[in-house]
Amino acid sequence: MKTHYDVGIAGYGVYIPTYRLPTTEIARIWKGGGAGPNKEKAVACIDEDSATMAVEAARRAMDMAQVSKLGAIFVGTESKPYAVKPTSTVVAQALGQHFVLAADMEFACKAATEALQVVRGLVGSGMIENGLAIGVDTAQGRPGDDLEYTTGSGAAAYVLSRSNPDTLATVEAGVSYVTDTGDFWRRQTEKYPRHLSRFTGEPAYFHHVETSVKQLFETYGLKANDFTYAVFHQPNPRFPVEVAYRLGFKFEQIKTGLLNPIIGNTYAASSPMGLAAVLDEAKPGERVLVASFGSGAGSDAFSIKITASIDEKRKKAVKVSDLISKNIKIDYATYAKFRGKISR
Amino acid sequence: MKLSISYWRLKDRYYRLVGVRCEECKNEFFPPVYVCRRCGSRSLTDKEMPKTGKILTYTELKETLAGFEDQEPMLLGIIQLDNGVRILGQIVDTAAENLSIGDRVKAVFRKIQEHGSSGQIFYGYKFVRT
Amino acid sequence: MSRVYVASVGYTTVGDHWNKSILDLAIEAGFQALTGAPKVKPEQLVVGNMFSGLSSRQEHLGALVVNGLGLTGLPGFKVEAACASGGMASLAVFNMLKAGQIDSALVVGVEKMRDLDPGEVSQALCAAESAEYTQFFGASFVSLNAMLARLYMYEFDVSRDDLSAFPVLAHRNAVNATHAQFRKEVSYEDVARSMVISDPLRLLDCAPVGDGAAALLLVSEDLAGQVKGPLVEMAAAESATNRFSLYERDDMLDFAATRLAAHKALKSAGLSINDVDYLEVHDAFSVVASLSVEALGLSKKGQGARDAREGKYARENGLATNCFGGLKGRGHPVGATGVYQLAETYLQLAHKAGPNQVDDASVGLAQNVGGVDTTAVVHVLRRS
Repeated sequence: MKTHYDVGIAGYGVYIPTYRLPTTEIARIWKGGGAGPNKEKAVACIDEDSATMAVEAARRAMDMAQVSKLGAIFVGTESKPYAVKPTSTVVAQALGQHFVLAADMEFACKAATEALQVVRGLVGSGMIENGLAIGVDTAQGRPGDDLEYTTGSGAAAYVLSRSNPDTLATVEAGVSYVTDTGDFWRRQTEKYPRHLSRFTGEPAYFHHVETSVKQLFETYGLKANDFTYAVFHQPNPRFPVEVAYRLGFKFEQIKTGLLNPIIGNTYAASSPMGLAAVLDEAKPGERVLVASFGSGAGSDAFSIKITASIDEKRKKAVKVSDLISKNIKIDYATYAKFRGKISR
Repeated sequence: MKLSISYWRLKDRYYRLVGVRCEECKNEFFPPVYVCRRCGSRSLTDKEMPKTGKILTYTELKETLAGFEDQEPMLLGIIQLDNGVRILGQIVDTAAENLSIGDRVKAVFRKIQEHGSSGQIFYGYKFVRT
Repeated sequence: MSRVYVASVGYTTVGDHWNKSILDLAIEAGFQALTGAPKVKPEQLVVGNMFSGLSSRQEHLGALVVNGLGLTGLPGFKVEAACASGGMASLAVFNMLKAGQIDSALVVGVEKMRDLDPGEVSQALCAAESAEYTQFFGASFVSLNAMLARLYMYEFDVSRDDLSAFPVLAHRNAVNATHAQFRKEVSYEDVARSMVISDPLRLLDCAPVGDGAAALLLVSEDLAGQVKGPLVEMAAAESATNRFSLYERDDMLDFAATRLAAHKALKSAGLSINDVDYLEVHDAFSVVASLSVEALGLSKKGQGARDAREGKYARENGLATNCFGGLKGRGHPVGATGVYQLAETYLQLAHKAGPNQVDDASVGLAQNVGGVDTTAVVHVLRRS
């Protein structure tokens, strides 16, 4: 997928809610001991939802980008506050941007990279100057389900602009791959999703991520060694490590962007937030691979090259590591209250 | 009264802290005023307020108004923004025992109320300590 | 201009009147006042009430109460100024009598609160505050006063026990008041240990919720001869406002509306605050009583609570204050409160206060507040 003009990242912003639920708490209530695969997960407060977190991440991205006008705002999420009524218009209003194409996108955990592809296309065609792509989720697992251990909350936002001396990275290449695969779903009126357990692995996650990344390599003549960093979608701590090895990457390349063990799976925000963690420390000239995965199923893979302006731009960044370390631990009861599992 | 409609009228005030500035003496006000409190001028135009300030006073409310029960106990504060304007808002992501008069805060975007699971959600500003 | 006199007063007990409607209460108090001066035929009715629309789905209280009293034909209307509705209703009548437009009128203050859930009462009271910038964010009326209390304690190094002085005084005074809602003493320990409502305010810092009605029959000097017993003159009634919301004020601890209204009322009566020997202050919250005596010029800024603790407002040897319990002890049926205060001041000056009588009381001042000192009404009454 090529663009007419080169497209770069003008700003990025991340939001991670303050509260953390240690997974030992979930085990204490439901399984009687132990912990989950990840140590903790980020939990949105009672007054937070995908709209509020999208706004917070978007404000940070806009603050870094320093662009006055946006031509598009896409919010990728599977936890829309409304079934019908866009989240993107809340973000547009909060940013004071009105002459924008605004829409919500849904594709399980890859809604944000889908938004990135679309904004990349709009900017790259010359149709708009700047666009905003946001990945955000307050995903929920059924109480006691394996999914409950990993489903976290968070948001990541990217302002894409036509490449210029102020863009901190260039999106050099991107591919998308989809098949109809029912590994994980949620019907219209259901509160919690259902999944096919082990089926979510090989036929779903691994097949799609491996295929998209190989397609990217083939199309653009790239290989694992060409990348200083790689970020994969992180449904749990194990899958991204496994897929990295299969594709020829070493742990050194993925460790910076691997956030699942400490904040859980932030769904649509997962791989975009991993990219942000990389951008917090990458050097000019370095290359980053980003590959998402969305159940249903598909994967978008990108090659992103860091530019010389990264150091200057990064001065405005609220670092992912700082957002992770500033937190308040909660117990299962507080989590249940915050996420509406109990109410008055 | 339909809150959905009064909220819609005020969304820029709630989302972006848009108050007013006096064209004559340049003083700023939030909530907006019709007549400048300092010089009496009626020439006032919209102006976005600064998003940082300090706590002048606060409370932990145990008995909330109807519709806010799930947010109990609720921290509320009167905040002096960095332009001197004072506004009221909830303080979130902390506990009462961590608060002191004079603490620095910044405005964040949060859900203020929602009308059950079928009605609208109303967003606006709250404050967190920095 | 005519002088204005109190011909008689009436009031119900304050509390849970499960069996009485808002009209039942208004009529009970109204009949009492009318019976007290049977020769006086009112030419006007004014009702003070804050939220009958919410509590009883009933507006149009003027005509409703006129008809209930059997006075069909008489003009009647309602006055609303939040918790100052009662005082404002009296002020409206005072001005009509002063102007010579009428020679007699009945003021009825009434509020029905117990038909509402506690949450609904909070909502109704909070209607006195900005819907858009206070209520919208979930701030109740108590929470605003709690923030005021914290600021007051912080700025002037006021202790928990200092703040408790007015509630303790109010409850002591209410013991012998037959119409009071809470006729029992509370100790400093009781206040300090009562449930926290909105930190630092506790349950016993706050006036209770209750139903009640009070009435005043007021006459011009032409009809003063019809009044039996000692004559009590309503020497002045004045009102003032502050910036609408607490947070819009440069000095949140200055009760400017009270200060202005009291200044105007005393000036109009040709008196000074030192002439006052009976005081009714609007002690809806402990902190409000403290800031009120400061605004009235009776205590120095920051000293109101400490002065109360040292006995300055005690019936025994201070400036006798809230001798029937005030809002805290007698109760605070919102729209009726201002009228209760005036009825009680009348009882003192007419020397009809029974066990609560203050020796030789001759000049009384009553301060009634709506919102957090957003509206203040101050009356000065004088024994003739």
